[in-house]
Amino acid sequence: MTAELFERGSVGRMRLHVLPTKRFKTFSLSLFVGIPLNEAWVTPVALTPFVLRRGTAAYPETISFRERLDDLYGAGFGFDLYKRGDYQIVQFRLDIINDRFVSSQESLLKEAISFLGEVLTAPALEDGQFRSRYVETEKTTVAKRIDAIINDKIRYAGERCIEEMCKDEPYRLLALGRKDDLSGIDADSLYRRYSEWLGSAVLDLYVSGDTSLGEVQSFAEKAFKLPSGSPQRYSAPVLRAPRAEPQTIVERLDVGQGKLNLGLRTSTSYGDPDYAALLVYNGVLGAFPHSKLFVNVREKASLAYYAASRLDGHKGLLTIQSGIEIENYERALGIIREQLAAMKEGQFAADDIARTKAMLENQLREIQDSAYERISFDFNSVLSGTERTAGSLQAEVDAVTPEAIVEAAQGVVLDTIYFLRDRKGDN
Amino acid sequence: MAVKPYPKLQETLYFEKLDNGLEVFILPKPGFTKTYATFTTRYGSIDNHFRPAGKEAVRVPDGIAHFLEHKMFEEPEGDIFSTFASQGASANAFTSFDRTVYLFSATGSVEKNVDTLLNFVQNPYFTDENVEKEKGIIIQEINMYRDNPDWRVYYGLIEALYSKHPVHIDIAGTAESVRSITKEMLYECYRTFYHPSNMSLFIVGGIDAEATMARVKANQAGKSFDPAGPVERLFEEEPAEVRQPRIEIKLPVSLPKCLFGYKEDPGASAGDAAIRRELATKLMLDALLGASSPLYQQLYEDNLISDGFGHEYNTGPGYAFSVVGGDTRDPDELVSRVTEAFRSASESGIGEDVFERARRKKIGAYLRMLNSPEAIAGEFTRYRLKGGDLFALVELYESLTLEEINARLREHADPSRLAVSIVRGDAT
Repeated sequence: MTAELFERGSVGRMRLHVLPTKRFKTFSLSLFVGIPLNEAWVTPVALTPFVLRRGTAAYPETISFRERLDDLYGAGFGFDLYKRGDYQIVQFRLDIINDRFVSSQESLLKEAISFLGEVLTAPALEDGQFRSRYVETEKTTVAKRIDAIINDKIRYAGERCIEEMCKDEPYRLLALGRKDDLSGIDADSLYRRYSEWLGSAVLDLYVSGDTSLGEVQSFAEKAFKLPSGSPQRYSAPVLRAPRAEPQTIVERLDVGQGKLNLGLRTSTSYGDPDYAALLVYNGVLGAFPHSKLFVNVREKASLAYYAASRLDGHKGLLTIQSGIEIENYERALGIIREQLAAMKEGQFAADDIARTKAMLENQLREIQDSAYERISFDFNSVLSGTERTAGSLQAEVDAVTPEAIVEAAQGVVLDTIYFLRDRKGDN
Repeated sequence: MAVKPYPKLQETLYFEKLDNGLEVFILPKPGFTKTYATFTTRYGSIDNHFRPAGKEAVRVPDGIAHFLEHKMFEEPEGDIFSTFASQGASANAFTSFDRTVYLFSATGSVEKNVDTLLNFVQNPYFTDENVEKEKGIIIQEINMYRDNPDWRVYYGLIEALYSKHPVHIDIAGTAESVRSITKEMLYECYRTFYHPSNMSLFIVGGIDAEATMARVKANQAGKSFDPAGPVERLFEEEPAEVRQPRIEIKLPVSLPKCLFGYKEDPGASAGDAAIRRELATKLMLDALLGASSPLYQQLYEDNLISDGFGHEYNTGPGYAFSVVGGDTRDPDELVSRVTEAFRSASESGIGEDVFERARRKKIGAYLRMLNSPEAIAGEFTRYRLKGGDLFALVELYESLTLEEINARLREHADPSRLAVSIVRGDAT
């Protein structure tokens, strides 16, 4: 494995992370903008990137904005919104081909950074605020996105389970915000929020490709017109204790298949030294086709097509999800609880651990081959204030003992059972 | 072993057709950690009526190709996922209309994993008991998709377009068809379609081409196969017209979902002309409907579409159709606005600058795709089944002409062959 490392620098409030590499045919840019997740900010912050992608000062009409991307050899531009730890993060992405594959007159990297800088810091304005037509249209788009969560029942059940489990903390909120807040937002209030956001958020720009820190720094200095200040840092999440007795929530919709989701709290998060043990715990329990959940719920009992667990290390939450015949609720829940109990009692074979470690190490090595995955992994370390690399996490995983897994299991406590079912027998 | 360099793309492909008929492709990616391999049979959900060499024609239950894919993972010594896991590999498979693909990705023990991939697919192990057990799992998979409105609106459109061609049959079948499947039927399909001469192996990643090829050849040399007989696939004649112009179903959704598309004469499903037609059609659709088109922006401003509005073009043996649409507050208005745009563009023609921009965008997207070994493996195999070469697509895009695109538009957008599929909730 070639040891390509991120080079670090900063431009004003924004940290720079540059990965010089010749392995890919593209330059990959990611810009992370994070603020603490909270009720007052969540909706305007969610709406902001939707408005920013409508136009910039140089390309104020959406159609010219989109044409500019097409002219840059169909540069892939997009953004994501998510919760990570106690933060609401907006991630902008721009993927553009390296000039050497086409006969281009311009430095495509320079154009890409300049474009991204404009998107974030020089939006299309009218009378010193956002264009109200864009704000109004994008309010509708965000409302539709929030409403649309119910269309995908797997996602809906997952979001509802988290909402119920975290109902007394900001983490219950969707990264997309609250629909009811939208009507109170206009171009003026959103622009003021946006300006505060730029002045207070943690900003990290990542660039991977055939370039250097010096080159990115000189492009970024011209491209980003940020409020003055020095770089900020993220702080570690606050882990809540589980409720004393698990709650059970049953919801009814017109569905054919039941969705059984379990929400559990752990006592470990990504930045903790025992994180690797929890990762292996999750692997033995339910992350893979050789894991207990897949083998026992699907292969042995034929109850489900999918039965898996997922670890949200940044918030210290573990979720279990499965799609089952509605009448099999008790049986499936029983089998899942047996697997959780077995983990606590150390009932797993050396083979299970070896397979899990081999799979985790494979996943960690695979990260090397994707620019965006390398960026994501590095950002996870930055977010949680660790010095972890994919290589060092591999070593941590390798060192996990059966005792450490059992110890991790003691910290995993069932908090919420959520079941989405049909309307039959409902009065 | 043949070596084919693509200097412009900085890629080199190695190829050999083995004595048993298996086609092996190796694409070394120096510096990559991961290796990704796909083992593909030209056998999918549409192959439900066929005549095995020297036998009577058989019609098999819907969903059997997919069932076979599930069952292949079971070996006498247990589940093959565990074997892959202990070798640090992540394995999977999928079934489409015209192919079934088995795959793994791994960062170590590559040769061992290649052996495991070849061995498990070439060693069917079906018992009455393990076939019965799988039915519950597949029925839950079917139920999962039945609750998925995106999937329902998509299949609704294909059902509206096609009356005879099996492309309109659900890849997983129905609970009833799945219950009727027996191990004897699975073996019959296996013998017919899993002969090495009907299959290809594609390996991409940080590997040595010579050593990997030698390993594949040694693996295959150690197995014997009956000579391959010709398999005849039987298709009833599909009428030119759509089966029904409109299909509507109810499911809980926040906004109606609406997909529509034009059915075309299938033409040749393989060969240069077929691939050229596919690329030209996709470029045409993007020029007309892409996010930088005036139509897209106007529909968006009028709150008739959302970010999910998109388009695709699907072709295979005996079928060719476009799919356009997404979530909308007013399906009828959306269909009428878009079909009107097709009509007026057919008359006025797509402009030179729009065409050039769409072409540039396609070439850029293609080059970005080459960063992903998974995408390369999937797309390479897809084009290979059509008798084409994924790595020759830039030249093909560059040779397309505006006249060709406009001719494609006029030919494709035939209003008499349009069908619409809608999913609505009670309140929408």
